[in-house]
Amino acid sequence: MSLTDLEADASLPAAEEVAAAGPIQGRSPWQLAWARLRRDKAAMISLAIIVLLIVMALIAPLISKWIGYAPAFGDRKLGITEDGLPVGLNGHHPLGTDRLGRDLLVRAVYGARISLIVGLVSTALATILGVVVGAMAGYFGGVIDTVLARFMDVTLSFPYLLFAIALAAAFGASTPLTVLVITFFSWASIGRIVRGQVISIKQREFVEAARSLGAGNIRIIFIDVIPNLLAPLIVLATMTIPVAIVFESTLSFLGAGIDPRTPSWGNMLSDATETYQVAWWTLVVPAAFLLITTLAFNILGDAVRDALDPRSERLFAAQKAGRKKKK
Amino acid sequence: MIGRKSGLTAAAAIGTLALGLAACGGGSGGSSGSDDGKPKKGGILKVVGAGGQDNLDPTSAYSTVSSALQRTYSRQLFAYPASKDPKAASTPVPDVAASMPTLDNGGISKDGLTYKIQLRHGVMWNSSPAREMVAGDFVRAFKHMCNPASPVGAPNYYVPNIKGMQSYCDPFLKDKKLQQDAKGIADYENGHEISGVKALDNYTIQFDLTKPASDFISLLAMTFASAVPVEYYQYIPGSVNQFKHLVSAGPYQITSYDPNKSITMDKNPNWKADTDPLRHQYVDKIQVTEGQGSPEAVQQQLEGGTSADISLDQPVPASALGRLAAKNDPNLTVNGPPISNPYLVFNLKSPNEKKAMQNLKVRQAIEYAINKVALAKVYGGPKYNTPLNTIIPPDSVGYQDYNLYPTNGSQGDANKCKQLLSEAGYPNGLKIKAAYRQAGNHPAIFQSYAQDLQACGITVTGVPVPQADFYSQFLQKTDNTIAGKWDVAAPGWVPDWFGNNGRSVVSPLFDGRNWADGTSNYGGYDSPVTNGLIDKALEAKTVDEAANFWHQADQQIMKDAAIVPFMAQKTPWYHSSKVKGATWLPIAQQFDFTNLWLSGS
Repeated sequence: MSLTDLEADASLPAAEEVAAAGPIQGRSPWQLAWARLRRDKAAMISLAIIVLLIVMALIAPLISKWIGYAPAFGDRKLGITEDGLPVGLNGHHPLGTDRLGRDLLVRAVYGARISLIVGLVSTALATILGVVVGAMAGYFGGVIDTVLARFMDVTLSFPYLLFAIALAAAFGASTPLTVLVITFFSWASIGRIVRGQVISIKQREFVEAARSLGAGNIRIIFIDVIPNLLAPLIVLATMTIPVAIVFESTLSFLGAGIDPRTPSWGNMLSDATETYQVAWWTLVVPAAFLLITTLAFNILGDAVRDALDPRSERLFAAQKAGRKKKK
Repeated sequence: MIGRKSGLTAAAAIGTLALGLAACGGGSGGSSGSDDGKPKKGGILKVVGAGGQDNLDPTSAYSTVSSALQRTYSRQLFAYPASKDPKAASTPVPDVAASMPTLDNGGISKDGLTYKIQLRHGVMWNSSPAREMVAGDFVRAFKHMCNPASPVGAPNYYVPNIKGMQSYCDPFLKDKKLQQDAKGIADYENGHEISGVKALDNYTIQFDLTKPASDFISLLAMTFASAVPVEYYQYIPGSVNQFKHLVSAGPYQITSYDPNKSITMDKNPNWKADTDPLRHQYVDKIQVTEGQGSPEAVQQQLEGGTSADISLDQPVPASALGRLAAKNDPNLTVNGPPISNPYLVFNLKSPNEKKAMQNLKVRQAIEYAINKVALAKVYGGPKYNTPLNTIIPPDSVGYQDYNLYPTNGSQGDANKCKQLLSEAGYPNGLKIKAAYRQAGNHPAIFQSYAQDLQACGITVTGVPVPQADFYSQFLQKTDNTIAGKWDVAAPGWVPDWFGNNGRSVVSPLFDGRNWADGTSNYGGYDSPVTNGLIDKALEAKTVDEAANFWHQADQQIMKDAAIVPFMAQKTPWYHSSKVKGATWLPIAQQFDFTNLWLSGS
């Protein structure tokens, strides 16, 4: 694909829309991005899946009521065999049960709650913290930069799993602690990128203009610098959510996450290690939920990046084309 | 005090057993003998496992693994027969002793304080030249128990009970200079006597006790009381140097030893079948390979059958149990006597919720709440476990079936629980903290009983504790207990021996006197009635008399609701298809290497 093809690709439908709409309308970059995103089928399917997950998480109690079992309730009559084995997919338990006779479908939809809450909340906290620290470091430079940047380096060099397990052992496993741990280990990578961006933005002319007009540092950071970071931030955040979800599952899997009774995908996977050889569904159900969710967030994240920053793809494509030519 | 065999290691192994299907897999005590055919000689028995904590010194070694290995090279006055019947397999019979001393035959004096034991003639050490084992070798065994370099694992079984042993041991044990001085140890032992252990002649040994002990024969049947040859004076006890120069009196001798890596045993040419009523010399060689700590990997090798025949210390993985039982694998055995594992212990010192755990009615309410069938399913269901309602499990001395807190089908009764909670002053339920181990089946056990308690209105907060810290760093710290860091917990317990073993079960778990850090009476239960009954049982002159007192103590503890017994649990163990005639040695929690043979060799 050549450079011109790509540009034509990107601009052609817009031109059609413009023609259809009659008078020329001004479009913000956000509108353009949304238009590009909507044309990405994979992204739209991912978005639909995420919305579906959120709806499922919201109506989890209804699903639980409809199936007839609470998420932590071991059904000792129908949900477990005489020899203590899980039962497979059947009329009472649509996706089977685990070794304590708990309904896997009910646990999985409740698990979506934990995963989404932990994923979204810790990503939000990590983003806020990352932006604040990263912007301060990048904007003020000097000693502040040195101290904050080193602090980020230290955070990034922590053996995070050991640290998380130690924390859980010391303070007891709980959802808030899991969120804090994930936040603590996610903000630094965001902060680092923000710092780099801020360093380049603060040297741009409009920042100098604002300063010469007498704007203070805080105003410049919040009015001039951060809005220019939104595009990369949205991309970073969408990519951090699935990482946080997997991290939560990892922690629960290792027993350093939340109470084992709490229905979380990591807990379910951890339980499955004892049973999957005789009851495949105990492994497949949570694994499928986890896989689909993280895949959906990842594809959406990729698409959002492409949509917000079409340049990156064009440059990439151009490089690829260049390389091909050399061959 | 009971050491590692009881608490951590054994319970850890047991913790990972289970979840099993159980269509079949051999009856209690192994598969039926008839299809094993006649014993064959020859072949190499390959034993594989984690190992890594070798102690081959008979006096000090304190683990099921070392008990299993010692079966092949050390001899005791009394030992356990190979039997498919768990009761017989846990009742000691004469080994080097010529006969069993009793009150009737005068071997035990009327006051129960003196044991006179005749020795078998012709039992040979593999020394060069071959030397006969004599009464002096057993006297030396008891003197050796208090050497400061590597003393006996469980001194309390012997030191306070044998006349003159305390005064013999105290200065010896405290003499730290001797820890690196083999000659100094030999000199002390040769220069001092224990007044209560005497060789009357080469074939007669006499023990004088400070108080009667109906389980003294069981104590003599522990590997701690194995005969000690004079050669051991050349080495520092418990040193690798000693392990490399072990002197055998059993059917096998160690011919090559690489610490924590491998042990090779060949036939002992000096051993004669007619001087050993308990052991055989079927296989040519026993090859122990250590360093394999994955139950799954070991299981895979056992099923392959070329690189491993028996697991040294790795349990049958939970996942494999289901698969093996589903195909009726004849190489899977389910072995007794059963143990009470796990059980729910109440923290009787806890200040939480207006001292709820100190309220008898609350504890009794919980006794009714628990669904024992559901708990047993976590460990594979009725094939491996039966609901247990007593302190002492079946096949142990003092066991009698009774149930103070019966519920329909042992499935728990939430209403009865609620009613008792109301009477206790908690009509709106209460909140308790449950400590559980983060490994194996323990989280599942916690969740199962937590569901039962929830149904009765008791909200359970989980307190996860790493497996390695559970006993020594958590339950056994009395500060934690007093501070109410936990209200209930589900520990396990593997007794040091089976049969007449109240000294190794009821006594350490429920004697409330001298409660301190390191106790196995985790909840601080202390009842003068129970303490008195324990004393009477320990000092009974006959096993029957002891059994009666142990049963009374059992009833008192259940009346006080100090614990909730969950299940009487048997141990699944697997061997390769080549192994025939495998019998379970309860004291070693392992097959008896000296009574099995290999097919196709």
